[in-house]
Amino acid sequence: MRVEVELPSMGEDAEDLANVAYWLVEVGDEVSEGDDLVELTTDKAAFNLPSPASGTVVELEVEEGDDVSVGDVLCVLEV
Amino acid sequence: MNAKRTGKHRFPEWIRRGWASGHDFSFTKELLDDLDLHTVCQSARCPNLGECWRRRTATFMILGNTCSRNCRFCSVPSGKSDGATDADEPMRVARAVAKMGLRHAVVTSVTRDDLPDGGAGHFAETLRAIRRVTPETTLEVLVPDFAGDRQAIAAVLDASPEVFGHNIETVERLYPLLRGKQHPYELGLRVLRIASDLARSSAAPAIVKSALMVGHGETPDEVRRTLADLVEAGCEAVAIGQYLRPSGKQREVVEFVHPERFAEYERAAYDLGLKFAVAGPFVRSSYRSEELLQTEFARERVEALRHAATAR
Repeated sequence: MRVEVELPSMGEDAEDLANVAYWLVEVGDEVSEGDDLVELTTDKAAFNLPSPASGTVVELEVEEGDDVSVGDVLCVLEV
Repeated sequence: MNAKRTGKHRFPEWIRRGWASGHDFSFTKELLDDLDLHTVCQSARCPNLGECWRRRTATFMILGNTCSRNCRFCSVPSGKSDGATDADEPMRVARAVAKMGLRHAVVTSVTRDDLPDGGAGHFAETLRAIRRVTPETTLEVLVPDFAGDRQAIAAVLDASPEVFGHNIETVERLYPLLRGKQHPYELGLRVLRIASDLARSSAAPAIVKSALMVGHGETPDEVRRTLADLVEAGCEAVAIGQYLRPSGKQREVVEFVHPERFAEYERAAYDLGLKFAVAGPFVRSSYRSEELLQTEFARERVEALRHAATAR
């Protein structure tokens, strides 16, 4: 089953924007729920996004350096 | 797991946080939305938000989401308010505290220079509402300066919070730059002095607490001097954290202070006479603030306060 990993909301802020700093996984990697997938930065700090499920990384939808918003699909897992 | 690293690192390796998500996070978010409550967590874009909301804890921000001051490190919107308060808010905060099952609740606010009492009465009502609904919950307030008004400070203390906090935020030299001429360093110390005077003369004194952010270009000596000033003003507990820029509109970080220096600051605080000190990049005055109350010295105080609170 394909699971799209979206950037979740950080709170009420409508302009929740982050930058993809670097991928901690590559296509083909096995991940467990809770493993860090990607590091994102905002003006404030660097944040690691954990995997919502266990499975295999099948697609990376954004590249390092891309700006992303809440709801954007970052990667796809096969669980 | 392979890691692909490219590009410059904007943050040192000790500035990392988990992104907010998960069941408990959603629970907290929905509850706050349903009760139409503001949190400083969101308004100040705190990097600990994910962790705290997952632990089902949050710091409520009352008296609206518009502040009558304009500090350069803060992302809470600035502007004039219309002299009104939300009469229903104290009860909604109390309901949120109950639904979240909080053992310790922190209440802060924006500054409301448009209100005659600066919002002190509203603070006291909020504390009393929480006490009525969940008398077991310990209470901590983080108040604005109320323009140094003794009556306002007394009104808040009269509602018997276990912890009375007012943050000094930065060292004296940086006050004009970060907080503007209307907002002098001495005023913060005055608030703490008045609070500790009033607290000491009560049968059940609240613990007086302050906090500051480093990384604005202050020197270690300046930090130590500030800690000494806090002790002299009657402060008993302090939290020291790294300033992180909430958004592009606030001042850039001048320095990411190394965790070792935070450890030095924590030691210096104890050496200077503070009874409780916590320092680290992600420390904030509200962050895990219930841990202050779990210390030896705090437990006796809390006992006395609970006794006095229930006797009323």
